[in-house]
Amino acid sequence: MKQVDEGEIIGRVLSGDREAFADLVDAYKGPVFRLAFRMTGNDRDADDLTQEIFLRAFQSLGRFRLGERFFPWLYTLGLNVIRNYLRKAQAVAGEGFGAGGPEAADPGRGPAEAAMGRERSRRIQGYLMRLSPAVREALVLRFYEGMRFEDIAGLTGDSVGSAKMKVYRGLEKIRAMMEEDGFGDEES
Amino acid sequence: MKNHEGKGERGLAPDPNMETGIEELGGKDPVAGSGDESSLWQEFDAIARMMREDPAPEPPADLGERVMARVRAYRPTPWKVFVDALLKPRAVSFDPIRALRAPVSGQECSFYFIMVGVFHAVLGLTLMAGLRGFDAFPGWVRWQPQIALVTAVCMAAIGLCLLKDGNLALRAARIGALVYLGFAVLNGVFVSLEWSVPVSAYASLLSALIGLPTGFFLLRTLQNYGKRYA
Repeated sequence: MKQVDEGEIIGRVLSGDREAFADLVDAYKGPVFRLAFRMTGNDRDADDLTQEIFLRAFQSLGRFRLGERFFPWLYTLGLNVIRNYLRKAQAVAGEGFGAGGPEAADPGRGPAEAAMGRERSRRIQGYLMRLSPAVREALVLRFYEGMRFEDIAGLTGDSVGSAKMKVYRGLEKIRAMMEEDGFGDEES
Repeated sequence: MKNHEGKGERGLAPDPNMETGIEELGGKDPVAGSGDESSLWQEFDAIARMMREDPAPEPPADLGERVMARVRAYRPTPWKVFVDALLKPRAVSFDPIRALRAPVSGQECSFYFIMVGVFHAVLGLTLMAGLRGFDAFPGWVRWQPQIALVTAVCMAAIGLCLLKDGNLALRAARIGALVYLGFAVLNGVFVSLEWSVPVSAYASLLSALIGLPTGFFLLRTLQNYGKRYA
């Protein structure tokens, strides 16, 4: 969505046209849902969190600075909502929280390949869920969302160096977990 | 995946070239290098690729509609409306000299009224602390702290009204500024009439010295603000 359009839509929402907010929801529900999905590891929580993030965005829209880009603002707000949720969920469920992986559909592959892809996806998501939320966040933003380190730093409030270090540490831990499981050997 | 003997999780010190190496992971070209370190980076690269190539889950088809149902049902509390009005980002320039000459925005006008309110609040609280226990003061003088606090509340209320940036708020603010100006003069007169000591003349003068320029300044900025509605 163009920045000009966003500004116009936000202006309409702020002047009382709530239905205009649907355009923003349609434009960004995909990335927000995917972020929540990668961070929580299941689609029900991702669904709830996506609704919560958009509702919070609507409630806080008055504080959005017109002229700035909406998506980074929404993403930062989303990360905060997800972090709070994870903190509470971790406190309730303890260490086992979030272990286990989701399944994502991939219609472009054959049945055997798709099954293998699902298994790989499930395992990687399982490893992600065993990382700390901050490290997981860095990996998700870098590799699933394909963001530049400068953008990750801007969203998370870290320095670029710190974001890189989190990604490095995350990869290091996943590699160690894969070795323990013998996952890499199975793959090759 | 290969095993790195003696290079457990703890043994992996960050590569000196980590900052550049990490940028290239999961990209089109394989990570360059040689030996054990290269092998490590290739493993990282493989993990990064797995994540990059993992198919993205799609949100449920009715998710947007469910979000909008919650948005439609949302009713903010009066407190939330008040807090949002206060926290709304604003570009307020503090340039009183320019405000006397050029058109100003409602937000800038509001800022000046609120600042006058803050000044009177501080004055009222100071007087309240200073005049405590002095029952000997005549009636009107004893009421000065309360008068200052009421003035503070009125000025702040006018300032908040001006945030709405409307013609009605402008009219209310003009009346408020005129009342403020008139009251500043009358207050000085009452103090000197009621309090028959030499110091009352100074108190009267001080009231006029603060109130008159402030009142004229507020009226002038309102005049410049009103040019936008002319």
